Amino acid sequence: MDVWYHNEITYPFVPQEVLDGVDSVRASLPNKYCDPKIAADLFEESLDEFLLCDDLGINVVAIEHHAGINSLLGANPLLLGILARQTRKARILSLGTLVSLRQEPVRIAEEYATADVISRGRLEIGFVKSGGSEMASNNANPVGNVERYWEAIDLITKALTHQEGPFSWEGKHFTHRHVNIWPRPWQQPHPRMWAATGDPTTASEVGRRGMVNVLVLRGPEGTKRAWAAYRQARAEAGLPKVGSDRFAYAALAYVGDTHEEGVRIGSKLMWFLNTSLKSAPQYARFLPGGAPPQFAPQVYRSAPKPDRNGGSNSKKSVAPASQNAGALIGMTAEQAMQQGILFAGSPDTIYRQIMDFYDEVGGFDHLVMVGRSGFLTHAEAEKGLKLFAKEVLPRLQEVAPVTVG
Amino acid sequence: MNATASSTEERLSVGDIELEVIRRGTGQPILLLHGMQNVNPQARFLDLLGQKAEIIAASHPGFGHSARPADFDTVYDLVHLYLDVLDTLPYERMTLMGLSFGGWIAAELAVKCAHRIDRLVLVDALGIKISDRETPDILDVFNTSPEEVQRRSWHDPDTWSPDFDAMSDDELVVRARNWESLCLYGWHPYMYSPQLKRWLRRITMPTLVLWGASDGIVMPSYGRAYSECIPGSRFELIAEAGHHPEIEQPDVFAERVAAFLELKS
Repeated sequence: MDVWYHNEITYPFVPQEVLDGVDSVRASLPNKYCDPKIAADLFEESLDEFLLCDDLGINVVAIEHHAGINSLLGANPLLLGILARQTRKARILSLGTLVSLRQEPVRIAEEYATADVISRGRLEIGFVKSGGSEMASNNANPVGNVERYWEAIDLITKALTHQEGPFSWEGKHFTHRHVNIWPRPWQQPHPRMWAATGDPTTASEVGRRGMVNVLVLRGPEGTKRAWAAYRQARAEAGLPKVGSDRFAYAALAYVGDTHEEGVRIGSKLMWFLNTSLKSAPQYARFLPGGAPPQFAPQVYRSAPKPDRNGGSNSKKSVAPASQNAGALIGMTAEQAMQQGILFAGSPDTIYRQIMDFYDEVGGFDHLVMVGRSGFLTHAEAEKGLKLFAKEVLPRLQEVAPVTVG
Repeated sequence: MNATASSTEERLSVGDIELEVIRRGTGQPILLLHGMQNVNPQARFLDLLGQKAEIIAASHPGFGHSARPADFDTVYDLVHLYLDVLDTLPYERMTLMGLSFGGWIAAELAVKCAHRIDRLVLVDALGIKISDRETPDILDVFNTSPEEVQRRSWHDPDTWSPDFDAMSDDELVVRARNWESLCLYGWHPYMYSPQLKRWLRRITMPTLVLWGASDGIVMPSYGRAYSECIPGSRFELIAEAGHHPEIEQPDVFAERVAAFLELKS
């Protein structure tokens, strides 16, 4: 198993009364509350954490969110460029620049090819569907988002792999008559691709394409459901079974010297769920296209009727993202640990938690650990990373890939 | 026209597209293009106008119970669909009335198809850009809190704001379809065509621009400016009405329309 370090570079230093007084901490919170000097410190600390990971044998993840306290990483390619140059060994996962929000997939392909070349082939390309407040921040139509997402991925993939001079693309959402990127990527035919989704319909397509399916904070039921869809779609398409290297799981994670310390400090990561997910209804419940209209009776009424399977973990193919977020906002650290959303403890106890989850969901080859968020400090993050690398990582690296399903 | 009445609702087939349609009354034909919501068949203004005219109100594809064909997703598609509707209905000329978002479509049609439209009524219409680049003319209903959208939609929001808890499942599904379709058609540029204003001068039929005095979605000043772009058009306000004067003040609304169209009961 590989381990990846994920730090959203959150900005928790907004007075609580301000956060309490607004309907959304994303998209509409004025940026007067973001002190650029504090932001500079956060970037410097976080980049140091990524470089420490490079020394420790942990891979790194660069994410993207826009306009809110949940992340200062509105410009993923910039961080990617820094990591490509300054790390030496780590693999670098862009998870990812938000492709359905950007007008120019060819430019994205150029950014990715450049980062792959600078890093001499250490780039991994992750795609995130995006949603909610990101649509407002990026002026992107929330309706048709998934269709745009796949067309952008198709165009990026062709731009990365086509080597015989300009080609033309006249798609539904993107047109570009003369595509011919330089440099072409280091890795051939292109860097490995990931997709973050818990939606079984999307996971099915991810499966048919053989991409790595990463589940972010979804717990065992949501994870199993997505990966079952992935495998079933491959089987139905007559495609070969895949190994656990196509499955990744992302959770909040912190290891301390003792179980108590790991849980106490790891619980600080809950800020990400409890505070930074607060989003206004127009970006969530009432986001057009956020859920198919037939879900409106559940979504629009003020007290959504939980279905038999318990709301967001229903067997229905689309649990509205807003419902998933709603469940996470009110979650305690204890509940998060029970659901495999937070792994925290001593080296022994966290290893057991990870492997129990691994067994429950049928195996995965990539653990993405969200190791810093909210008021968890840089010093705490680095201490946890070092201990994790020394005591937990070697044990996880012994977990060999398996064929699943 | 191949209008077929089922036990519950009437349909209108135009080419390969089938629309849910409400028909009310007899007399001078009025093609009604709805706004952000499809027309509620119980709406009082329908009955009032139906006493003097024949109202034909289809739900746009994706709204109400009208299906939306694949890749039918722009105002361009809607305009051409309604050009087809005008050609399909058995009238040489019709009155065209557009509410809000439907007012945008109506204005586009009037620019393109003057010979089929004898009179035009625009009610709190969207569709053009008036103010400078940093002043939005039309409230961004998708990126504004639902409460604020309701507050600005009605003269009396306490009476008229929808209560989702009191709606049936079907009403809520329709509401969500309407919301999604409006967003699909109108997201960018937001609820207007950059080209339309220039061509409004082509609208030469008698035109009434009717506006809710309390409209906070598109202000009366926008309506006045809209009217000034249409040669010879008349601009009228309806007091104590917001973005939906046909719902908040149905009697005054019907009177004003009837007077303009010289309808007799």
